[in-house]
Amino acid sequence: MSLSRDDMALAGEFVLGVLDRAERASVERRIQRDPAFAAAVADWQRHFAGLDATTPGVTPSPELWSRIEASRLAQRSGRPATRGEPLLSRLWNSLRLWRPAGLAGTLAALVLGFALLMRISAGPETPQLVAVLSAPDGRAAAVVNAYANGTVQLIPLDTIPVPDGRVLEVWTLQTREQGPVSLARMDKARTIRLDLRGLSPAQVGHLFEITLEPQGGSPTGKPTGPVLMKGLAATRL
Amino acid sequence: MKDDHVGTELADCLRDIARGRADAFRRLYEAEAGRMLGIALRILKRRALAEEAVHDAFVSIWNHAATYESRLGSPRGWMHTIVRNRALNILRGESRTELTDTLEPLDIASEAENPEEAVSRLSDSEALKHCLDRLEPAPRHAVVLAYVEGLSHGEIAERLRIPLGTIKSRIRRSLLALKECLG
Repeated sequence: MSLSRDDMALAGEFVLGVLDRAERASVERRIQRDPAFAAAVADWQRHFAGLDATTPGVTPSPELWSRIEASRLAQRSGRPATRGEPLLSRLWNSLRLWRPAGLAGTLAALVLGFALLMRISAGPETPQLVAVLSAPDGRAAAVVNAYANGTVQLIPLDTIPVPDGRVLEVWTLQTREQGPVSLARMDKARTIRLDLRGLSPAQVGHLFEITLEPQGGSPTGKPTGPVLMKGLAATRL
Repeated sequence: MKDDHVGTELADCLRDIARGRADAFRRLYEAEAGRMLGIALRILKRRALAEEAVHDAFVSIWNHAATYESRLGSPRGWMHTIVRNRALNILRGESRTELTDTLEPLDIASEAENPEEAVSRLSDSEALKHCLDRLEPAPRHAVVLAYVEGLSHGEIAERLRIPLGTIKSRIRRSLLALKECLG
């Protein structure tokens, strides 16, 4: 019945939060099938609960409740909520993280996702990655298509006011070590094609962002200005 | 823990939610979302991501309210575990530390607190406080930092400028000592 010291410590490390992604996933599977281990995890959770119980509250944004309600009602009507095959739901899932605001943005993304689906299935050139970039208010602001040959197309969906002496700079995140990598600069939002062939395909990041930078681009080589839009790419279309 | 009355009320609320009562769900949100957001924010640092964790946690609570039972701890503890796990999985899943640091410096700092403050709010009668205080200061700090901010072994090593192997064994030893003390 009693757990080894190793397992006891592992359960504690899981609750503490020090494990990396793969380790967490493996512990989560173990919790499902090993009741003694699950009980040890629950014990640790109870022991540490006090550190959460006294956390000062933070007022949620007004949109949060409506988003929760929307998700609750959507799943009741049977919309797939987990990553299944349909493109729509995959776009939905990958975008959810980046959807900062209300339903307007979500709906726009869904409509857009659908439009993309139509386009993609029609064209001979199929993007490997598609990202819908959202503005801070949740509006869909641009689409990024990344192709197998290493080129990337950026299609703005809206005009973006760019003050004099500033430029838009496009970034992708590839590896944490390397940090964000600049892909292009432009004086106004327009459809452009970027060449990522210098980067290994496996490295082409799933995250794209556009920031506002001084003329000539970021002086530091890393984003310095406000993020105007960002989005997570959905893979393997 | 602090008051059983709240626990009973929340347990009733969860029972109603399990029966599909949307009004109870709303009540639960009103009462608990703020603190849950605070917990997620300590870990994720960015409000948009923290709200995402709270969103996911509430959808999950709606779906799994029927599985709550008192031997899993207090209703509040159960919900905190859900949001904390969600926040940790978002944090680990998205490799976003770099972005948090470099792309969005504007966001959060003002809302962050020193992890030790979380310990100082524990009541003196709580076993965790007593047992944490029995650890050496350095290992104790690593454990508190890990829990409150959800840092990984590697991130703690980096933050405290201590070799990774040292941090791993220090935390493991601390956990086993805590276990001994907490029973």
